[in-house]
Amino acid sequence: MPRAAAPDAMIATLRHPWPVRLWHWVNAVGITLSLLTGCWIFNVHPRLYWGEDGHAGMPAVLSLEAVDAAAKPPRFELQVGGSRWDVTPLMGVIDVEGSDQYTLVGAYPKDYQFGASRTWHFLAAWMLVGGWLTYGLYLIGSGRLRRMWWPGGGGARAASYNVVQQLAYLALFALLIPTLILSGLTLSNSVTAAHPELFALWGGRQSARTVHFGAAATLAFFVAVHLYRVLVCGFFPLMRSMVTGRRPAAGGEGT
Amino acid sequence: MSRAKRGRTSGMSRRALVGSMLSTGLLAGCGRIDESAPGAAMLDLTDRLTRRAERLLLSGRPLVRELSSAQISATFPTNGTVLPKGDGYQRLLEGEFRDWRLRVDGLVAQPLALSLAELRAMPARTQITMHNCDEGWSAVGQWTGVQLSRVLDRCAPRLNARYVVFHCMDVQEADGAPYYESIDLLDAVHPQTILAYGLNGAALTVGHGAPLRLRVELQIGYKNAKYVDRIELVERLSAIGRGRGGWWEDFDRAPWYAGQ
Repeated sequence: MPRAAAPDAMIATLRHPWPVRLWHWVNAVGITLSLLTGCWIFNVHPRLYWGEDGHAGMPAVLSLEAVDAAAKPPRFELQVGGSRWDVTPLMGVIDVEGSDQYTLVGAYPKDYQFGASRTWHFLAAWMLVGGWLTYGLYLIGSGRLRRMWWPGGGGARAASYNVVQQLAYLALFALLIPTLILSGLTLSNSVTAAHPELFALWGGRQSARTVHFGAAATLAFFVAVHLYRVLVCGFFPLMRSMVTGRRPAAGGEGT
Repeated sequence: MSRAKRGRTSGMSRRALVGSMLSTGLLAGCGRIDESAPGAAMLDLTDRLTRRAERLLLSGRPLVRELSSAQISATFPTNGTVLPKGDGYQRLLEGEFRDWRLRVDGLVAQPLALSLAELRAMPARTQITMHNCDEGWSAVGQWTGVQLSRVLDRCAPRLNARYVVFHCMDVQEADGAPYYESIDLLDAVHPQTILAYGLNGAALTVGHGAPLRLRVELQIGYKNAKYVDRIELVERLSAIGRGRGGWWEDFDRAPWYAGQ
């Protein structure tokens, strides 16, 4: 039935056009790599500050601290805005040349080098920023932004996303991702040499770093909700739909 | 970068494993992904791409932001080597660096051996800038020193000189190799690239790299080599150390251009 793929039939069966699917999988790889390498970078100095400067010995808005370093294993507290929680049971341990080091999340693996983890992070950043810009042009150019994500502005197919989902996608795409990109760029000496006004956006370099990790945690939460919904709504049909573009038989809307 | 604290990550073992599981699942068993051919190629490509973008951003030759004296950090952390080992450095320190000389050689028409007094007699530049460590922390300090471009003017670099290598007096415990760093001539002649002998109005302390350290404000922490006693101009970096242009670059695969 070669002629069956007439435009109307395509709309009925193809839920995800190929740019959507490509962007999804670029994001899947890029976000995994960026969150993982972001954890490696955080672990080297697990303290967040507000303002321009910030280093060990200065007050931190969030910190992971060994409060009883002599104990085996040491006792660890997560401090956020003066409140403290014992997070010792959540800690992973890595043994670096006989001296134990502990991390909360995403310890870098055996024989790994910290110096390279920043380059891996930038590889993920290039992938994600490239995908975001390209997909943004596609969203606007194809009218998909208006049809799918714009609350109240949708056509027939917008029915598959409710207003909460539309607003969530819009906030993610137009607010959270730009925040991640701009706060990350503020950490670069080269970028801020050319654009020192970026510091003013956050109120200082260390504020930008804190915003960057906070936005990354928000993204991680979004991904967790997304993965949960994929599992609940039917993993295999949804995976097939995101690979082939075909609409799942039932359920699985808007994860 | 903290040379002592982070050290080598070999011999790592895991016991209680929340976070490690994530990375274990993804990367352990793949061996050293960054030393595999595709892994290394991807890292090199990324560093090249990032560097190109940075060069484009810096094409207008901007100065980095200079801060006010009110913004100077109350304490400025010391990191990496805080006291070079060995009798040689100890003797220089006891003699208040009177016998110390900064040698400038390599691809130059006029090799130099400058004393601290000679460097201090040259026109000085003082700048209040932010030091950003690749670990994530920042500190603001007021640096005083001589612009590297002025020293380069005096040694008359040859036409084929492309990089400036900074040889340091501190030997790294991790591999027994001396610390070194390198920058290209473009960053070397940047007005804020100075050989600093003063911090916050006082002579540079031992912890901060006495008697002389590099301040290359366009780049981050580990490029700012401490305890410099020799500057060598070269055409290529492959013959120095293990060939990647710096101690951290050799040992830890840190990017050579570190403006990120």
